[in-house]
Amino acid sequence: MEGMQYLRVFLTFARNSLIRDMTFRANFILESIASLCWMLGNLGFYALIFTHTPYIGRDSGWGQYEFFVFLSTTMFVNSLVQTFFMANVDEFSELIRTGGLDFALLKPIDTQFVISLRKIDWSSLVNFFAGAGLLVISLHKLSVRPDNPLHVSPTMVALYFIYMLCGVAILYSLMIGLSATSIWLGRNQTLYDFWFYITNFSRYPMEIYSGTWGRPLRWVFTFAVPVLVVVNVPARILAQPLRPNSSLSFSLAAFAIVATVASLLGSRWIFNRALLSYRSASS
Amino acid sequence: MSIIELCGLSKSYRVYQKQEGLLASLRGLFRREYRDVHAVRGIDLRVEQGEFVAFLGPNGAGKTTTLKLLSGVISPSGGEARVMGHVPWKRENAYRRRFALVMGQKNQLWWDLPAQESFRLHQQIYRIAPEQFARTRDELTGMLGIGNLLRQPVRELSLGERMKMELTAALLHSPDVLFLDEPTIGLDVVAQHKIQQFLKYYQQHRQITILLTSHYMKDVAALCRRVVVIAKGRIEYNGSLNGIIDSFSGHKVVTLQFATDQSSAGLERFGQIVEDQPPRAKLRVERSALTRTLAAILAQYAVEDVVVEDPPLEEVIASLFTQVERDSGAEAQAASGTDSADASTAGVA
Repeated sequence: MEGMQYLRVFLTFARNSLIRDMTFRANFILESIASLCWMLGNLGFYALIFTHTPYIGRDSGWGQYEFFVFLSTTMFVNSLVQTFFMANVDEFSELIRTGGLDFALLKPIDTQFVISLRKIDWSSLVNFFAGAGLLVISLHKLSVRPDNPLHVSPTMVALYFIYMLCGVAILYSLMIGLSATSIWLGRNQTLYDFWFYITNFSRYPMEIYSGTWGRPLRWVFTFAVPVLVVVNVPARILAQPLRPNSSLSFSLAAFAIVATVASLLGSRWIFNRALLSYRSASS
Repeated sequence: MSIIELCGLSKSYRVYQKQEGLLASLRGLFRREYRDVHAVRGIDLRVEQGEFVAFLGPNGAGKTTTLKLLSGVISPSGGEARVMGHVPWKRENAYRRRFALVMGQKNQLWWDLPAQESFRLHQQIYRIAPEQFARTRDELTGMLGIGNLLRQPVRELSLGERMKMELTAALLHSPDVLFLDEPTIGLDVVAQHKIQQFLKYYQQHRQITILLTSHYMKDVAALCRRVVVIAKGRIEYNGSLNGIIDSFSGHKVVTLQFATDQSSAGLERFGQIVEDQPPRAKLRVERSALTRTLAAILAQYAVEDVVVEDPPLEEVIASLFTQVERDSGAEAQAASGTDSADASTAGVA
């Protein structure tokens, strides 16, 4: 019963957002094109890099198409975060500043749910489909290569999607947790911007974090702020299934689940603590 | 048991005192000065089921803060409150399904969508059965005369129409308790009147409990039998509207109509002259000395007509606010370092 209510409310959020987007059609199309262009620019940049080198790091297993699998995973995760959460979390600090949060607190429904999903940015979903295209092409290239062709099993695909959703959950938790701090920090001040700096680190295979500087970074962004598992774990499941260090991959995959649960619980705790300190702006 | 019970309810904030200038701002990065703002200082109040109670008070008196505490939007610094047996700031769904808060200065409807889309969302959030939803919606929009505007984006509605939509949205789930924070602010006379009529009918018809804050005495006079005057976070008066005059006004206004050849010279001995337009004069007379003064005037002047009135309610309330303001100013000086909220003295209009 409760679950059905949430589903219905979510679908109405989705529907209302779509109606709204359709009212501003030109804007919707422009936004879709803009995010597609940004993505193509990114892809072009990496394609350019791979004209200079066949792989990232010797023996790392990240050749061009393996990396493109990684890249499409980044696109999936980012587009899901942008579609469902980014606009809402963006607006969260504004709601705190203007006192608009009042209305969310009055409703007989979970406040975090309403705050996180009230608006859905359908135009960002275009990257999801672009990512799907890139993934299919890359997997095809990998499976028809003469040397060590890739076999993709249904289990791998299922695990891939599960871990991708875990990645979305981790990035979302980080986002809402950082944003909730504006309740304490007050006007126009929030740690939310840090999200963009931190998540930058998730966009590359974890092998690049090696050496004197790399190792501590890798440790921090795996265990303290687990953004490294966001893309790395699902991408490895498809692109690196037969690596000799698969036991490492296995423990990493197990850790990713723990990290997801911990992130969600942690962010919920921060969110609820923050609401206790909410002051509501003047009438 | 009362439907709303407040006991020693208080709320204070710490506010960062920002100094003027760049240098002071930089200093503020390292050492900050805070000030405690006591928005609500120990309020005791009981409201019975079916009452329509008005909160009156100058800006910054703590009216809205009290409503926010009762809605559970903010938590108190001290004291207790129960509404329908619930502690508001626990924000239980069972409580949140049974009350509504309407704020004249904030809107909750989706700006770019027709109001009916927001209503549908409310239906799902409050789990209102479809038939009941349609019936309540049609009833409310019919009474408010906005049935034909449901398909228009909210941003294209006038302020009055939008307020009516906000009211409808708030009442869709048929709340038992309704908090109204300045619902008619900024509206023209016609829209104000319409909303008053609606609230009056709705409250009597459904016997719900309503707490209203408003700066318009007309709202209050038309709707509420009981008035709670709040100033500087404390209750200064709790009773009927007319009782305010008895409690707070020490004088009456006497209008004298003199015979044509009678001069009004020397009248100031009897009280403060408010108006002197021969052959008419108005003066304020101490209530306790009224009969004595009247007798003396009638003995000394040739008077054709006498009218004795209470001073206008607005005036009494405005002077009450000013008085409280002055008293607490002195208090604050005695205990320096603490000061109260917004120091505006704007009264009722």
